[in-house]
Amino acid sequence: MIGVKARNRISTFFKYFVLIVVGFIMVYPLLWMVSATFKSNNEIFSGIGLIPQNPTLDGYRNAMNDYGGDINLLRSMLNTYSYVIPKVIFTILSSAITAYGFGRFDFKGKRILFAVMLSTLFLPQVVLNVPQYLLYNTFGWVDSPWYLALIIPTLFAVDTYFVFMLVQFMRGIPKELDEAAQIDGCNTFQTLVKVIAPMLKPALVSCALFQFMWSSNDFMGPLLYVNTPAKYPAAIFVKLSMDADNGFAWNRVLAISLISIIPSLIVFFAAQNQFIEGISAGSVKG
Amino acid sequence: MTPSAPKGALKKRSGLSRFFRNNMGLVYILPWLIGFLIFKLYPFASSLVYSFSNFHLFKGITEWGVMNYVEAFTSKKITTALLTTIKYSIFTVPLKLVAALFIAYILNFKIKGVNFFRTAYYIPSILGGSVAIAVLWKALFRDEGLINGLLAMFGVQGPSWLSNPDYALFIICILRIWQFGSAMVIFLAALKGVPTELYEAATIDGAGKWRQFRSITLPMITPVVFYNLITQLVQAFQEFNGPYIITQGGPRNSTTLISLLVYNFGFKQNEFGMASALSWIMFIIVMVFTILAFVSQKYWVYYGDEEGK
Amino acid sequence: MKKFLALALSVCLTAAVVIGCGSTPAPAPSQAASAASTPAAASAAGLQPADGPVELSLSWWGGDARHEATQKAVDAFTTKYPNITVKTNYGAWTGWEDTMSTALYAGTAQDVDQVNWNWIFNYDNDGKTFVDLNTLSDYIDLTQFNEAALAQCTVNGRLTAIPVAMTGRIFYWNQTTFDEAGIATPTTFDELLAAGETFKTKLGEEYYPLAMNQLDRMIFMVWALECEYGKDWVVDGKLNYSQAEIEDGLALISQLEEAHVIPTMEKVLGDGAESFDKNPKWMEGKYAGIFEWDSSATKMQAALNEGQEFVVGEFLTGFGDYKGGFTKVSLGFSIAESAEYPVESAMLINFLLNEEEGVKLMASERGIPLSKVALQICTDNDLLNPIVAEANGKVLAWCEYNLDPTFEDAKLKSTDGVYYDVMDGLSYGDYDLAEAASILIEGIEATLAAA
Repeated sequence: MIGVKARNRISTFFKYFVLIVVGFIMVYPLLWMVSATFKSNNEIFSGIGLIPQNPTLDGYRNAMNDYGGDINLLRSMLNTYSYVIPKVIFTILSSAITAYGFGRFDFKGKRILFAVMLSTLFLPQVVLNVPQYLLYNTFGWVDSPWYLALIIPTLFAVDTYFVFMLVQFMRGIPKELDEAAQIDGCNTFQTLVKVIAPMLKPALVSCALFQFMWSSNDFMGPLLYVNTPAKYPAAIFVKLSMDADNGFAWNRVLAISLISIIPSLIVFFAAQNQFIEGISAGSVKG
Repeated sequence: MTPSAPKGALKKRSGLSRFFRNNMGLVYILPWLIGFLIFKLYPFASSLVYSFSNFHLFKGITEWGVMNYVEAFTSKKITTALLTTIKYSIFTVPLKLVAALFIAYILNFKIKGVNFFRTAYYIPSILGGSVAIAVLWKALFRDEGLINGLLAMFGVQGPSWLSNPDYALFIICILRIWQFGSAMVIFLAALKGVPTELYEAATIDGAGKWRQFRSITLPMITPVVFYNLITQLVQAFQEFNGPYIITQGGPRNSTTLISLLVYNFGFKQNEFGMASALSWIMFIIVMVFTILAFVSQKYWVYYGDEEGK
Repeated sequence: MKKFLALALSVCLTAAVVIGCGSTPAPAPSQAASAASTPAAASAAGLQPADGPVELSLSWWGGDARHEATQKAVDAFTTKYPNITVKTNYGAWTGWEDTMSTALYAGTAQDVDQVNWNWIFNYDNDGKTFVDLNTLSDYIDLTQFNEAALAQCTVNGRLTAIPVAMTGRIFYWNQTTFDEAGIATPTTFDELLAAGETFKTKLGEEYYPLAMNQLDRMIFMVWALECEYGKDWVVDGKLNYSQAEIEDGLALISQLEEAHVIPTMEKVLGDGAESFDKNPKWMEGKYAGIFEWDSSATKMQAALNEGQEFVVGEFLTGFGDYKGGFTKVSLGFSIAESAEYPVESAMLINFLLNEEEGVKLMASERGIPLSKVALQICTDNDLLNPIVAEANGKVLAWCEYNLDPTFEDAKLKSTDGVYYDVMDGLSYGDYDLAEAASILIEGIEATLAAA
């Protein structure tokens, strides 16, 4: 019996040891980045320690510089969320409706259409860029102050990954619920709103979070479609800060990068349980 | 619109209304269908057409034919990029899945502070796409960077990660593997779904942890392994950010993945015909791998309910 | 609808210009002169300032200092012309060319665009991207620019950009490191070679008197070959150097590596920096020399750690009997064909480059001004950065060769281009001299043939 206990202890110790060591390796680069924002160029390159020897706030002070008053870090972050939030909302709506269509109805050509939808997951975005640009340009969406080129497509469930995820999740919702709702006199749309949507909530939250993170990080889209500095989002602003005429201050660039990802971090921490529940549930029903 | 309408009334309805009744799903997928036709199919189809031309943004089209495809399979630069992409995917995807499964497996024991660890492991996946991480990665793998500094503490002389063609691809892979958090979370949920009675029965039979893992856990979660495999595979084949920001495809083209090449042809050299052809080749390769995976699933993926799909 | 109107307008405009030219056989300068004296002629061509409010747009890339200076100059312009508003668009160089080329193709580029010199060749093959600025010589004082520079911006007889500054490569040294090594900064080839050895023995393996990346090496090689052979790199669309001569040049690069004068490419890439101004080895003085554009002087200087002294070097002698090296238009301003108000666009360019108010604000943000009047204003008011001015002076006084526009073609110059392949391949030992030379020649000839 003692042997078993000792073995258990060893194995518990081993588990925590692995978790902590690997976890430390995972997080260390990020901690280093945070500490580097307080270091001078020299120190950033001279050591690997976390504690800054001569802490300086220059990085943060300079991070707030603006360019002739057009744009600064905070404004660029506001810009980011002024299109990210509509994108998130539209994506959820359109993806849920599409997923409902695929997940709960039978119609001619459904299998083919579903396969087509899945195959768009494999389309390399790079090659779509030029034709899409020309197309959006004819619609007058390029450099639109309302970020139309970035937002409008999400009304049409273009990010099929989410549709796929929701369809998977919907499989886990018993069909009897739909039938019960219809017996109660709900039409199909009411069923979606009153029955399916509440059940889908964790999956919807994780879709929203994914879209939030991805859209906030997206660089190519705004680079192509936003040409007014006052409208630049944070991703572009970070790049802007990397082209300095008067010496390259790493602490400033890292501080800007760090500040720009804070909202993503906050959102993640606030919603992580639902988020994780969502992605897990979506796939487990595989 | 009232589902409870008597059957007789339905018969009298017009064909159109019957069509809608039978195809209500079509109505729901209509937004996607429209978006697909306009925003995806049209640009993609036009790229297929262009792939058979020498379309240059500023020189127009002067020639039609299969020359782009011929060049793709004869030019050393392009074939190398194709091989590198496959190498990258074959290296990254399994390692990422193994790392994710391993950590998820440990976390699945009654570990104190699961949430804390889960979050720590997940954070890299959220931030992976941002420019900051690319900056950081370069700093870590410099000749005198953090990694070599750590190695030096153990008396090991680290290699030139960024400039040695044998190692550069490795750091691009590591960047992706580091982001195993999302796959891990999915595994973790699947592991929780494995009925504990199965383990209890196995323990009584005297099966060790490893036996249990192999004969119970793994088979039970194969659908999730499959799901992760597919999504990771697709991501790996489209990897662009890592080489674009960290190595620009170098040194000696050792990190030139196909998507970077597509970008270089399309945007740097404005040779849109060639870029289109390359993306179609890439598309077909991804499709082939995915289809292979789907075909293979009947040999190793175990669906509990046997309903399939 | 607006786009269509703009298109129709520009078609009419071009037609008017073409017809105008056809009916008046007089050469361009006198046509401009007559247009200036008789407003009727100008209106016939449709080139007259608009009456009502005008909205222009202007784009450039650069760093923060350039953004601020240009924005101020633009504000001064709109104060001077209250009926004109200018919408600015600026950003970092990263990815800038990629989006600009797409925009130029789609006709959505800004009215006035800061262009890299090679753009006017790459993006205007059909002459439909940029306006021929000769037609606007009433509004831009072309006489302020020397003929040679204007010629560099002329494609098929059309002046498609106004050159802002001329630039060339020159050596910069970190005086502090050289002092530590106990030697003077080199002025001859032999001194440079000797410095390699001195650095290695006195300061250590990590110290190099010079550092060059792939493109630096290519330009340096051309410079050295021109010094030795005294001929242009490309003449009449043909590469002017033989396999043997190029092998010679490449051998020189290898020699510098072997003599510990320059670090190998493997070392430079291992530093993990995009450019030397971001490279800690340069900041700390371990790399004590660079071969850079004169206009980059301030950036390179500012990157040095405190206490390091930055000096502009002399062109090295001992490579041959000639004064090698080329100057090129560093960048220019162009007017896109899609511009609705070409006249006002031209006025904006003139304001930024030739008029006192604008010139003072722009100062040397884009290099030492090429415009004679601007240079005068800047010197009178002491607006030029002394280091940049010194470097520019030395470059202009020394370099006497021409640069073929294809030298900067993306197929050659970009990170997956021929120059990178050849210089990396040579340094990594993948290619021997003969192979490297023939790959370079093949690549250049293919590019020349496609141009």
